[in-house]
Amino acid sequence: MSRKKSQKSRGGGSSSSPATSARNLPPKDGARAGGKSCSPDSEVPVNGVVVPGRPSLSNSAEFYDMAFKVMLVGDSGVGKTCLLVRFKDGAFLAGSFISTVGIDFRNKVLNVDGVKVKLQIWDTAGQERFRSVTHAYYRDAHALLLLYDVTNKTSFDNIQAWLTEIHEYAQQDVVVMLLGNKVDSTHERVVKREEGEKLAKEYGVPFMETSAKTGLNVDLAFMAIGKELKHRSMKLPNEPKFKLHEYVRKEVKGSGCCKS
Amino acid sequence: MAADVQKKKGWEVQNGSLAPLDSLQLERSESPTPSMMQGSEPGAGQEGTMFVHTRSYEDLTTDEGPVSMGLKKGDGDQIESDMEQISKDFSELSTKLTGIPMDMEEELRENDSDQQEKPRRDSVLSSGKNDEDVTTDSWRRHKKQVFVLSEAGKPVYSRYGSEEALSSTMGVMMALVSFLEAEKNAIKSIHADGYKVVFMRRSPLVLVAVARTRQSEQEIAQELLYIYYQILSLLTWTQLNHIFQQKQNYDLRRLLAGSERITDNLLDLMAQDPSFLMGAVRCLPLAASVRDAVNASLQQAKAKNLVFSILISKNQLVALLRKKDQFLHPVDLHLLFNLISSSTSFREGEAWTPICLPKFNASGFFHAHISYLAQETDLCLLLVSTNREDFFTVSECKQKFLDRMRRRGSYQTLQEALRTPFYSVSQVGIPELRHFIYKSKSSRLFTRLCLPSPKIEAPYVTKEEKERLLGLYQYLHSRTHNSSRSLKTIYYTGTNENLLAWVTGAFELYMCYSPLGTKASAVSSISKLMKWIRREEDRLFILTSLTY
Repeated sequence: MSRKKSQKSRGGGSSSSPATSARNLPPKDGARAGGKSCSPDSEVPVNGVVVPGRPSLSNSAEFYDMAFKVMLVGDSGVGKTCLLVRFKDGAFLAGSFISTVGIDFRNKVLNVDGVKVKLQIWDTAGQERFRSVTHAYYRDAHALLLLYDVTNKTSFDNIQAWLTEIHEYAQQDVVVMLLGNKVDSTHERVVKREEGEKLAKEYGVPFMETSAKTGLNVDLAFMAIGKELKHRSMKLPNEPKFKLHEYVRKEVKGSGCCKS
Repeated sequence: MAADVQKKKGWEVQNGSLAPLDSLQLERSESPTPSMMQGSEPGAGQEGTMFVHTRSYEDLTTDEGPVSMGLKKGDGDQIESDMEQISKDFSELSTKLTGIPMDMEEELRENDSDQQEKPRRDSVLSSGKNDEDVTTDSWRRHKKQVFVLSEAGKPVYSRYGSEEALSSTMGVMMALVSFLEAEKNAIKSIHADGYKVVFMRRSPLVLVAVARTRQSEQEIAQELLYIYYQILSLLTWTQLNHIFQQKQNYDLRRLLAGSERITDNLLDLMAQDPSFLMGAVRCLPLAASVRDAVNASLQQAKAKNLVFSILISKNQLVALLRKKDQFLHPVDLHLLFNLISSSTSFREGEAWTPICLPKFNASGFFHAHISYLAQETDLCLLLVSTNREDFFTVSECKQKFLDRMRRRGSYQTLQEALRTPFYSVSQVGIPELRHFIYKSKSSRLFTRLCLPSPKIEAPYVTKEEKERLLGLYQYLHSRTHNSSRSLKTIYYTGTNENLLAWVTGAFELYMCYSPLGTKASAVSSISKLMKWIRREEDRLFILTSLTY
């Protein structure tokens, strides 16, 4: 393991340069770098999916049938980490705001219609200085949860910029879902539900309002993502096509009542 | 204010008891422990070292010629006329302050118009700490204030209170700096009324501390330097300079948003943890066999781009593996310690973050994989890679390490060793000894006795007591590291304890005794302590530096 010194010191070099595409990709993702598509009519399991019959042991020592990468993005302080903790541990992180450092990687296995779906969730830092790292992992993501804070107009205004970024760095067929978080703070709300719906419609992405504090729609958001990804990868001939938009519309709860 | 003066007087009287230093020094040279060469002292590495060697204050001594502005109390007239002069000069300065020669200003204006700031990130600015009102007395009563500003006088960081509220104060600070620079001079510190105001210029930033601690100016400056390095570790020197070259009045808080907690934590750590004062890394005491097992497992879990594998526990080093010919600097490791201790969120999942190790290379980012070995343990593994895309590879390394540790039972052994990690006073066998710090200069490692002890009342347990003890060590350290007249040995008698410091070319030893002990017994116990450290050295220190 004796690499040249010069090579090394250069390796630590500038981060401002854009991601040099498919260099040194981990073997697992090698296939995708070759431009593999994950169109729904493909019989082969989508990349990143572990073939059933050879169950893998995840970090949390749980068995699963397939795995997907989900990324949480949005401005700093909109509640990405809180949403994840609510989903993963069913708890709410009260107290002072701790910003995420870089990106944070956690696993959760969901049971989607009898199939164990492991979601590998990237919780990203919203701050500008971490952009380069987040960009580097966009293209691995199968789904993106884009969050804004209904009590913070700027975070909502920035959604367009986020969508542009997603378009630029993520895979073509990535599943995107728009979430307006913190709806429990009814008094401080500045972004109306209709505004969120309108924006989502404009970009053709499903939308729901959530609260990491009360748990409203949190599990639903991840479940919807899980269902969509599962259906995409296991296209069974006699199973009706899963319609994410319809599912969301049907299942979503208003901020008036609280779930779980 | 009165209290300060009182304190200061008391302090001087205590110093009086230090008088017979020369005789003590003579005594030292005949001490039972012969003066050792660097590299042969207990704790010195056996096969090369782990860390880069640099002089502790290298960064400070490279500065431009020092100018101390001493404002003496009592010379009221003098001060007033000085102040008048200063305020008169301020008005003249205001033109200079906006900063820049005409031609450059034009250039800048052009830049400004090209670079329309995206309004997009503004939401992050509002999310801050709960800010203290800077006009209150409680704000003024803080023992140490730290400010960071840009050369344009814009606030970058303040330890207490919001930066916005302090913008005029920071303007005055910048005015002071520029005022002296206009005369081709530099301001280093102001000493007045029990306060030390220490300035540090690290273009494009200016760092200022206002302290009424016992620290020397040099030590405060050293802390400011750590803050500077902390900022570099988030941005890199290259990026920091680039930003301000593009736009001199850039609001750096935009880029540093969310990092205030890390900087706050660093200041808190420096007030309690002697690592920073010592400029050395504290080792977790561990039986050599256990440490070997950890090292072997780390060696198995290597990857092409890995540069450092570091296992730590509560800001102590358990094991460090490095790429051949690559050395970590203790300052960089301290910054990593600080990063990890600043957030509880690393306990969940795996984090992957860009980090600059400014002493290693201030112009680039490494990428660090940070994860605790288990949720309930304090053992945290850091894998430092050169490749941003390496997350999955490095994550696998962690799994490999953990699997191997578990398979061989080393994980269990390590966990058990952690449960009783500290050696106690009784093991050393010196009854009056309450605490000590021993630093090996060549390995840049140190060890310290950890309390609480099973004694009647365990001192130095609370935060305040720990800070007080560190304050005493800081005092001893400043007396033994004073650039103009440094002492080799010092014996200090206080009301609550007696302290002894001994600094040689090879090691530094700071001991804290019960107030009932005598100087003679303290001096005679040194050799006993040194022998004990030598006997235990393979447990107290990491003697071999391993590579992949």
